[in-house]
Amino acid sequence: MPRWGMVIDVKRCIACWGCTIACKEEHFLPPGVFFNRVLIGESGKFPTSSKLIYPVLCNHCSDAACVEACPTGATYVREDGIVAVDDEKCVGCRACMVSCPYQQRTYYDEKVKDREYFPGQGKTEMEIIGEKLYPFKLGTVIKCNFCSERLEDGMKKGLTPGKDEDASPACVNICPVGARIFGDLDDPESEINRLIMEKKGKQLRKEFGTEPAVYYID
Amino acid sequence: MNDKHQDLVETMFPSDGSGIKPYEWMISPTRQRQWIDDKGIFLWLAFFFSEIGAGLYFMSLFYSFRPGIVLGWLITLVLGGLIHMLYLGNPKRAWRMIMKPNTSELSRGIWIIGVFAVLGFLQIITPGGFNMVFNFIMGILCLLIISHGFATMNVIRALPAWNSTIVLPLSIISGIWVGHQLLQLMFAISGNAAAASGMEVWAAAFFLAYFLCMLLYAWGTWHASGAAKAAIQRMLEGDLKQITYIGVGVLAILVPLVFTLIMWGGDTNGFLIFLRLASVCAGDLAIRYLIMKSAVYNPLI
Ligand code: SF4
Ligand code: SF4
Repeated sequence: MPRWGMVIDVKRCIACWGCTIACKEEHFLPPGVFFNRVLIGESGKFPTSSKLIYPVLCNHCSDAACVEACPTGATYVREDGIVAVDDEKCVGCRACMVSCPYQQRTYYDEKVKDREYFPGQGKTEMEIIGEKLYPFKLGTVIKCNFCSERLEDGMKKGLTPGKDEDASPACVNICPVGARIFGDLDDPESEINRLIMEKKGKQLRKEFGTEPAVYYID
Repeated sequence: MNDKHQDLVETMFPSDGSGIKPYEWMISPTRQRQWIDDKGIFLWLAFFFSEIGAGLYFMSLFYSFRPGIVLGWLITLVLGGLIHMLYLGNPKRAWRMIMKPNTSELSRGIWIIGVFAVLGFLQIITPGGFNMVFNFIMGILCLLIISHGFATMNVIRALPAWNSTIVLPLSIISGIWVGHQLLQLMFAISGNAAAASGMEVWAAAFFLAYFLCMLLYAWGTWHASGAAKAAIQRMLEGDLKQITYIGVGVLAILVPLVFTLIMWGGDTNGFLIFLRLASVCAGDLAIRYLIMKSAVYNPLI
């Protein structure tokens, strides 16, 4: 069984927010909800300061704080390493949201559901269709799932996640500079393992001990 | 701008600057919202009522005072339990937590409250209920319930201000202190002036311990990490400073100190005990609110 992970090359990233938008489109996310963000920050002080560009998403941690905090077992680590939420079991206590050091979860309630992209003008057809095609359950917590539906459908067709677009996450496919590399962390021959080894891939906020499956290289 | 538009703007660019703009997010210390804003406020109240009910029950065990354990049991289960339900929105949701007892601190807490409900009820209805074994078991359960709220917060490593070692002693001593005050008032109201006066010697000790725990919490958190220090700075200098100075400085510390000095040596009276209790409760609510509201996450980059 593979263990999916991602490498993000921050040197390549040009902060075009393609991943942010592709993700919103893929999951029909309402206004204000992001499973993918590109953070812009600064390090150092002028005149030696430098700009930091960090695309962030759920790290699908193997020792996830959200899983540890969940009182119902709704949040769990799948065999393929993806951290998923079973909305039938979720009680909306939000312990997972509070516990995630990366703040990668969103509580889906009426307030979020009712938001319109064009406030006061009603929902667009795209939004209405989205709610049918990709329904979220009210009163539960939602998050990035590494586009598990795409991965599963693609693999059923014999495609390889990370190589074939139809079996890879939307944010990986859209990236115009190839800053996101997706693959199997358990395969020593995989491209992402090679990059992690060669370029000394770093995990974000490693000190929390959550063992993220998303690595950054520069 | 209509309401919906206003709501969207507030979502994207909240006035406190902690917005969810996809680019300026988690790049500076970002505050915890889920367990204090909106419906999260119920958790603050639920933790408080569970704590004071269990505190009253705990103190009543030492005096074998049945009305005290009945009231403590009711406050914990009816007020604490009901407000927990309001937060979750549906009793069936608590049931799902009960079905997974070993998954997290939250579900263990629900179990402890369940066991407390059953054994507490048995102690209340049993004529010789105040025996050593019962008292010991209920005493332990009360301490677990008193610390349940803060224990749930304490295990969250992502929030260094909650992850401090002094959080648990602070919650235990605050529960016992408020429970002590409630019991003292019950004695005063029921005409048992001797018992109310006798309890005063403990008031000074509990107040001192409570005050020291608060100081240790503030000092320890300040020195723990950048994000923990940012939480204390928010309390002392930021948007929460009024609650800190009035709620903690005046209501939790100054007023109880003055009343404790006035009643020094057991010179108690019901009205003063009531005033001190009101001040202690408001102060304890303020401390809990501040700890929950001020906690911030480390920036990601
Ligand atoms: S990033 Fe947060 S939500 Fe995602 S697996 Fe890790 S702890 Fe859980
Ligand atoms: S909100 Fe749902 S997924 Fe999150 S901890 Fe609670 S039950 Fe688990």
